[in-house]
Amino acid sequence: MKDPDVVVVGAGADGPVAAWKLARDHGVDVLLLEAGPFYGNEQWPEPHVDSGGTVSTDPDDLDGKLLDEQFTHREAEANDPTYGYLRVGPSNSARAPWFRNLHQNAFIWQVSAVGGTSTHYFSNHPRGYPTAFDDQPHWPDEVSYADMVPYHRLNEEITSTQQAPMTAREEVFIEGASQEKSGEYPLLEDLNVTETGWRPQPNAVEVPGKETSNGQPLDSDYEGSFSYDDGFRGDTLVGDHFQGSSTPVDAPVREKARKSSNIGYVPRALDTNDNPNQGNVAIRPNTYVTDIHTAEGAGNLEATGVEIRDTWSGATQTVEADTVVLAGGCIETPRLWLNSGLPDDGWVGKGLTTHWFDWVVGVYDDDTVADINPDRQHMDPYVGQNSAVRFDKPGVGGLEDIGMSPGLVSFADYLFSEAGYSFDTPTDPDEPWDTRGYIVGKELKRRMANYRQTKAILVLTDDMPRQENGVSLDDTFSDEHGPVPKVRYEPGEEDDERRDELARIAANIHKNAGASHVHRAEWPPLLLHMQSSMRIGKVLDFAGEAKNVNRLFVADHSALANGVGGPNPTNSGQANALRIADHIGDRYF
Amino acid sequence: MTEDSNASMTRRGVMKGVGGLAAVSMSGVSIAEAQEVLGQEIPADPHTRDTYRAIVDAIVPRTPELEEELGGEHVPGGLDVELEKFLIWDFNHFQEIRLETLQTPVKTARSGGGPLGDLGGDNPLGDALGGLTETGDLGGGTPLDSVTELVDGLMAPELFQLDLDTISSGSELGALTDLVGLDAVDELTGLLEVEDLDEFGELLDFGAVDRLAIDFADAPIPDDAEGIAEFDLLVEGANEGTHQVIQNYPYANVFPLVFDIVAAEFLLRGENEDTPSPNPEFAGGGTFVRLSREDRLRCLWTIVDGGAIDRLDEILSPMLPTLGILKYVVMAVNGLHGFGYYTEWSGLGDTKTNTPNEREMQVDPSNVQSRNQTDYPGPSDGYAADWRHAVDGGFDDDWETAETPGPADPELPDEAADEAEEATGGDLL
Repeated sequence: MKDPDVVVVGAGADGPVAAWKLARDHGVDVLLLEAGPFYGNEQWPEPHVDSGGTVSTDPDDLDGKLLDEQFTHREAEANDPTYGYLRVGPSNSARAPWFRNLHQNAFIWQVSAVGGTSTHYFSNHPRGYPTAFDDQPHWPDEVSYADMVPYHRLNEEITSTQQAPMTAREEVFIEGASQEKSGEYPLLEDLNVTETGWRPQPNAVEVPGKETSNGQPLDSDYEGSFSYDDGFRGDTLVGDHFQGSSTPVDAPVREKARKSSNIGYVPRALDTNDNPNQGNVAIRPNTYVTDIHTAEGAGNLEATGVEIRDTWSGATQTVEADTVVLAGGCIETPRLWLNSGLPDDGWVGKGLTTHWFDWVVGVYDDDTVADINPDRQHMDPYVGQNSAVRFDKPGVGGLEDIGMSPGLVSFADYLFSEAGYSFDTPTDPDEPWDTRGYIVGKELKRRMANYRQTKAILVLTDDMPRQENGVSLDDTFSDEHGPVPKVRYEPGEEDDERRDELARIAANIHKNAGASHVHRAEWPPLLLHMQSSMRIGKVLDFAGEAKNVNRLFVADHSALANGVGGPNPTNSGQANALRIADHIGDRYF
Repeated sequence: MTEDSNASMTRRGVMKGVGGLAAVSMSGVSIAEAQEVLGQEIPADPHTRDTYRAIVDAIVPRTPELEEELGGEHVPGGLDVELEKFLIWDFNHFQEIRLETLQTPVKTARSGGGPLGDLGGDNPLGDALGGLTETGDLGGGTPLDSVTELVDGLMAPELFQLDLDTISSGSELGALTDLVGLDAVDELTGLLEVEDLDEFGELLDFGAVDRLAIDFADAPIPDDAEGIAEFDLLVEGANEGTHQVIQNYPYANVFPLVFDIVAAEFLLRGENEDTPSPNPEFAGGGTFVRLSREDRLRCLWTIVDGGAIDRLDEILSPMLPTLGILKYVVMAVNGLHGFGYYTEWSGLGDTKTNTPNEREMQVDPSNVQSRNQTDYPGPSDGYAADWRHAVDGGFDDDWETAETPGPADPELPDEAADEAEEATGGDLL
């Protein structure tokens, strides 16, 4: 594609969404650029050792069995931040990851790849709370929650979003949360959440085992194959989505159960090339954008294209386009903006939110779990979807029940804290947790020996955007793409208060369900649900176009004006990308 | 020692000497030959290895006392699967330095500004960069009368050069004095917020390390050099030297020296709860490994939450390209036990520190040591499990929009509906 109408920078959770909408509904030719690898594509059979092809435009390039080989479901091999295949770094695995300067006890967890961070997400797709759109002054009036809902509905259809299945682990959460059992909260049955309560996760995973290989239901008696080739369709209830998830094995890419954007949107985006009435989409991985080109327009700068650098060869090239759309995420989008020398009126890269997470762990006796689940002895955190049930409290935030494999559990439950080591960290007897801080040594091994009876609840705080938080250019380090991003996140006092309130609710849910021990990890910042570093209303207008640069849009999570109240951001980010794509089409094509 | 042992020389002069010395005198190989071993597994020097072993031992120890309670499989710990190699590999592979991003600073008439900010007297880079200006006095002592700056987006090579030499400098304190660019050990008192420098000096011990020198393998760097920088890493000890040429900055070898300095201050301030003692199990380590298990962790925590790096800022700054990452490093030394020990990593056998693409499972993922301790069966293509939907018929969606002024119309707001339903097979909510 020599002369795309639009260049989309970044093929993460949102870039393919905007590309598909522009091509399908507005007849626009889109070049979608991605810095990381393209998994499950025949053009790049060995993405970590060989540069492979240049660009993919054919949906037949997609190969689900190749994806199965590449996503091994092993934890270290997938998730290690330095050597794992799901990291932020060049495709060439012999090279180090891309460096971000982080001067604090904190962890940034992103993925560079076609599919981006959605390649390891839990696929939770709750909508942002209506109050986050309608009742907060920093979101422009032009975008009400009602304006977002049609795009949520479309996104939910595309991604098979539905209620998650309840397995043994979720039953324990429900026991502690539901007012019909030992808890105090009502079941929320509406997708638009305005009240406090618990509910199944709306998530972008197909129904479990909707067709099984032997025609029998997928239940504890199922003994059939989980292979697509043997006839299995739908979700296989594996809790290893953070390793990439390519189940059902042998399925074509578009038939994998979990609809990360490389599954849900990329095949559709490439399908537009087969339809003469639609625009075209070309996807080029291994391509880092280093500069946004602009020209003086009528009273404003105007984007004219981008400078790209091939991450294997180092070759650079200029790509001209009528419109440039940034979708590199909350760190790379502002970094590219700043490295391009574009105007900054004080909010570029600022206002970063991350749901000021926390993590509250419950350990359960066998008998307690057996009473709740008469047919099972264990909760088995690896069985079922990683997060299938949640709690919502608009205005404060939410909670999620989480199950993961043990390496991730040991890190998240016991080895990531801002409270210090538990052997030195006192616990207020009036608080509902028994211990807090790092757990190490003999006690760590004891807790991990009880892994199968351990579950955690993630706290997602409605943290407010603050100008001092965000991304700037580092003044010490540069890489081949310019000064590296320097990232900072510190919560505000009110954010801390909301987080404490949610942590207490989580601990009480554990206690209501009969946990024998409750531990609060007291996480430092985990930068995963990043949002709002290029905020609509500050840097962008309501359509996502830069206030100071015409024909330059931002269509990733950084465009959101806040943390959408605390619910997982993917559905809101993708719905917003769909909305912005329509505005791009209407304004310029 | 050779001519670079003159402690009064500027850092630049020292580094020029290191480039040749490291390649020839210690290992007897040329840089080109050394490059052949690039990426191959070479044992870390004893100080580095034993410092990380002492951390692994504090977080995932051997626990014979758990045998009776939990079973014999719960006895082995991180050292039994060489987890220290995981930490060392990750720290030494977490930042790539590229030659085209380096540039010797240029002298400017402007005072302050530029990407490094004001490089005046209180900036630790001031001395290092001062030695490179045309007017700088290589003998030291002449105050800067101009400002050196870098072009936006470029880095000073000196950030990535280090020579910490206790032999030629006479002691650990002497080595730090030379590194900071002071004339006398006494001047350290002004930088260190310690009351008794002698006691600090007695506490400070780098163990098996007499000298750590890091320089670019091809120093001096040609102006037009491009590509991934390779570093010449030299660790000299009493009985052996380790010489490697590696890609990426060898942070893993530097952090243990920082931990020794922090540990000495930790002891001086009396923050330890247990009496330190020589630890034969980690004989290559320094002050840090003499701390009890819990004190090692308390000591590391002073970096995050005890003000240690603020107090030690000027003495630690010349040792690292940026001191600020140390809080991140303490996060990582804890967290990496999760990514290493409690994953399948140890099952990679003798490939576990190869380049990622060359690592291969040699033990079934369900049967590695930590998996036996967690009873996790390992990855699977699927699980047979009883499950149910909690909301009969799916969620409601009755928010009023321009398209749906009343209760939600099951039809979608655009014609993507038909395609979406056909392609995804997704049930309506």
